[in-house]
Amino acid sequence: MSRRSVSRRLFLGGAGAVVALPFFESLAGKSVRADDTVPKRLITFYVPCGIHMAAWTPATEGSAYAMTPILASLEPLRQKLLVLTGLANVPAIPDVVGDHASGTGSFLTCRHVKKTEGADIQNGISVDQLAAATLGKDTRIASLQLGIDGGGSVGDCDSGYSCAYVRNISWASETQPLPKTVNPLVVYDLLFQGLDPAATEEEKARRKLYKTSVLDYVLSDAKSLQNKLGTSDRAKLDEYMTGVSELEKRLALGQGAACTPIAEPPPVLDYPSTVDVMNDLMVLALQCDVTRVISFMLGNAGSSRSYEFIGVGGAHHELSHHKGLPENLAALQAIDTWEVERFASLLTKLDAVKEGSGTLLDNTLVYFSSEIEDGDSHSHYNMPVLLAGNAGAVFNSGRHVVLPGSPPLANLFTSMLGALGVETATFGDDGTGPLVGI
Amino acid sequence: MLHRAKAPLLLALLGLSACEGSIGDPEGTLSPPPGPAVADPGRVTIHRLNRAEYNNTVRDLLGTTTSPADDFPADDHSYGFDNIADALTISPTQLELYARAAEALADEALSIPSASESQLYEGETLTSPVGAVSGSAWNLWSNGELPLQVDLPMDGAYRVSTLVWGDQAGPDPVRMSINLGGVSLGQWDVTATAASPQLVEVESPFSAGAKVIGVEFLNDYYDDVTTADRNLYVDWIRLEGPLDAPLENPIRDALLVCDPVAEGEPCVHEILATFTSRAWRRPVSDAELAPLLDLVKLAESQGDPTEVGLEVALGAALLSPHFLFRVELDADPASATPHVLSGYELASRLSYFLWSSMPDEALFAAAASGKLDTLEGIREEATRMLVDPKSDALVDNFAGQWLYTRALGDHTPDYAVFPAWDDTLRDAMEAEARGVFAEFLRGERPVTEMLTANFTYLNDRLAQHYGLPLPGSDELVRVELPADSLRGGLLTQGSLLTVTSYPRRTSPVKRGKWVLMQLLCSEPDPPPPGVEGLDETAISAGSLREILEAHRADPVCASCHDTMDGIGLALENYDGAGAFRADENGALIDASGAFPSGETFVGAKELAAVLKSDPRLFACTADKLMTYALGRAPGPTDASYLTAITEDASAAGGSLTELILGIVTSEPFRQRRGEPASEGGAP
Repeated sequence: MSRRSVSRRLFLGGAGAVVALPFFESLAGKSVRADDTVPKRLITFYVPCGIHMAAWTPATEGSAYAMTPILASLEPLRQKLLVLTGLANVPAIPDVVGDHASGTGSFLTCRHVKKTEGADIQNGISVDQLAAATLGKDTRIASLQLGIDGGGSVGDCDSGYSCAYVRNISWASETQPLPKTVNPLVVYDLLFQGLDPAATEEEKARRKLYKTSVLDYVLSDAKSLQNKLGTSDRAKLDEYMTGVSELEKRLALGQGAACTPIAEPPPVLDYPSTVDVMNDLMVLALQCDVTRVISFMLGNAGSSRSYEFIGVGGAHHELSHHKGLPENLAALQAIDTWEVERFASLLTKLDAVKEGSGTLLDNTLVYFSSEIEDGDSHSHYNMPVLLAGNAGAVFNSGRHVVLPGSPPLANLFTSMLGALGVETATFGDDGTGPLVGI
Repeated sequence: MLHRAKAPLLLALLGLSACEGSIGDPEGTLSPPPGPAVADPGRVTIHRLNRAEYNNTVRDLLGTTTSPADDFPADDHSYGFDNIADALTISPTQLELYARAAEALADEALSIPSASESQLYEGETLTSPVGAVSGSAWNLWSNGELPLQVDLPMDGAYRVSTLVWGDQAGPDPVRMSINLGGVSLGQWDVTATAASPQLVEVESPFSAGAKVIGVEFLNDYYDDVTTADRNLYVDWIRLEGPLDAPLENPIRDALLVCDPVAEGEPCVHEILATFTSRAWRRPVSDAELAPLLDLVKLAESQGDPTEVGLEVALGAALLSPHFLFRVELDADPASATPHVLSGYELASRLSYFLWSSMPDEALFAAAASGKLDTLEGIREEATRMLVDPKSDALVDNFAGQWLYTRALGDHTPDYAVFPAWDDTLRDAMEAEARGVFAEFLRGERPVTEMLTANFTYLNDRLAQHYGLPLPGSDELVRVELPADSLRGGLLTQGSLLTVTSYPRRTSPVKRGKWVLMQLLCSEPDPPPPGVEGLDETAISAGSLREILEAHRADPVCASCHDTMDGIGLALENYDGAGAFRADENGALIDASGAFPSGETFVGAKELAAVLKSDPRLFACTADKLMTYALGRAPGPTDASYLTAITEDASAAGGSLTELILGIVTSEPFRQRRGEPASEGGAP
């Protein structure tokens, strides 16, 4: 045990010992693995408030499509990209209103979430968590949930829907949302926890023994407590015990694959910088094989963020109710373009990491969409969907595909799970099988 | 009218029935019919500490000034509050953060104070890409840095000093910098020569961890003709610190009630028993302590000192479910028969309601003595606790969510429309809202007077924003307002007016909805299927009032918007950042409002008077307080209790204190029951 005194660094773990390098400098071009067993990964990328579709959807199908204004930054990556037009997420349609909450709840589950503010929240397991059940077996962290916006606000979240649906896209079960981590420093320390170059092997072994013993103790403590509790209480203790078991696994697996540490992010960042740092951390987490599954929310459902830094005043959600007014559409196009640029930046960084005979991007599926199609219509048809990377050349990338007959988004998820080596017959409420046409 | 799809007639009929219980209807009551024949106090699911509760608890348990929970994931909220047990979940990442926080807190608690240290590094033992060893110094012969790598044990102020001299040449003296991580902490002229070296030193706050300190030569000079050569010599670099190292650790002193080294296992037992019973907020049995003692022995068996074992055990106690959850037990977890909470369970209910934290020693004593078994004893303790500054937690966590003050931090008025907006103004608005609520919390005024209060808290900045006489202070001071003032009462507070606006303009609908939901507990139904709700963005033509009126021409919309808009329009004299305005875009503002019943009013003050006389206001305040106090959804079985609480509190003067005392002595607060299998096993 260290006998050092109070500092924030201690709470965050031993990462302070990492020698500072210019952030991200050492990342590009480094290979994690020399062998052929390249793992497959999944990133899901959520943006709030829909997309201005007229400036999004390419005019023609196939591989020769022209990039639209919003998608322009993806031009260098077009060979590794599928633009999918026509998918519908019908289960996301709310009972009455509350499309942002129901669409976000359903974003990765394709389930019709139960309208409630109370204890009886009900969704389904999300596609990333199904993937993590397989892909996460061998990594220290089964899956990461990252985002930008924490809780913060007050009042009802959306027309009688629980905030759980508004702030989370990863669901471990029908009733358990997985909250996201929004502080890049905390993410950094989760990735590098316990990294203390100064400790001897003997010290490390002792610390691990103590940590394991503490977890054993609290687990048995929780079990004996659980025996005295009612049904609802037992469910809460189940969450606790699942967490302890997961932590025991993390401890047993240790640091994961060796990789080059990068400098810790500064403690205070503005919004665009935070997104950039989160992008870097996502790449790092996959590159270092700390985890293989990440979900990321660029904002919470129906975000009211102001984009003054790109010259767009006013709240995103308010603007997204554009009423077809040209000035609102121009503002939305600017926001959407900026969002896709961040996505493109993530893809570029993934593509810069050599892995096997290809790149990290080639071995990853990166899914991009929003909780609704368009902010005015609140439609859940014709969803804006991008699928980048390829999980080992399963898909015929480099195309704009228009899917007729509004096939369920759930079918895309079934196909993605198949590509990741997770076989499922169907997914969600309305899935019928793998998506035909990609 | 912004229906995205068809709104068939059938739906219109459904919509018409949605908002019948309107303001001004004397029959409109908050409570459903009285509760069931068999009294039911309800049950609260095992309650995880939320972030505020965690931070406050470790503050009061240990005395730490850290706030570990700031890095935990946000707590989901339900029913308007983030302390609703059913909504508080735990994910694996959250558990990992709990484990780290527990380790860090235990480490901090037992850390031994260390004095400042001083270390001297000789120049000739260091190395740099620039220069070379020269005698007992390092010679920087061209521009560049002599780096020194150090690993600092803790945050604090450090002093870097260095003994240097120069080969002086050219017009200027030698110029140098001391750097931290490549960033200069200061620059100096070095006029000294080898005969009498010069001491340069600088003090600066450093954070813990690996650091590179450097002495850098900045102005190399060489004359080819005369071969005049300017160089910087570094004899040594010394690092001292932390200069502000704590000389004592009060957390450690409080924890170590005896000497575990000298007194052995009985002392370890005593330390753990004392700490754990406070951390778990109840007496702890020897059987429960045994595994914690085993952790200490484990460390000892590994050759570590007893204190390391204690640290492991303290960390374990802080990761235990008995710490992270507020545990309340039923003799029969499946029985619906109500029973009284134990004294310790009730003590925690009181402390987490009033303080968002653990009980203090007096409250533990009251639990132990049986004082909390009597209503009088409960009243006495609660009264004492409300006077304690820790009851500011009700301002932060109850009022902050009830009155939406917390939303102020997330709200950004558009700079183009509200150029006066900045953090100073935001802070003043927040402080005003807090000051007024705190006065109602601790005074004897009827809580309903919050609507019409003839005082507020202002500093010069806020007074200027409001167009009031400046009080002559940067700090907020209490200000009496004349009867004809444009301010006074909750509805004219900048905080509320701002957070219920859009970034660029007001929203009468949001303001009206806030009043209905938060003050009257009469939330309007959401728009019927196919109706998106009013889109207020189209204000290019006509006034907002005209647009709203056109919208209400549709009976589907009118059923709810008559009420919401009628309230919000009366506040139109206050803009989207809470400043007063007589006109907008050159047109005089019409601040008249009306309820569907026909009752009319003009402006915030007349509206406030009407609301103040509405019986739902007091009942709704009680409802919100009860939800927050119990940390669970209000249920139908609570109605009869709430009616009794409001009647009693009203008869006793109607203050917040009376409401709180009514709640803490009520059966839902003092009792609980099990969960019959028929209730299904939420969550």
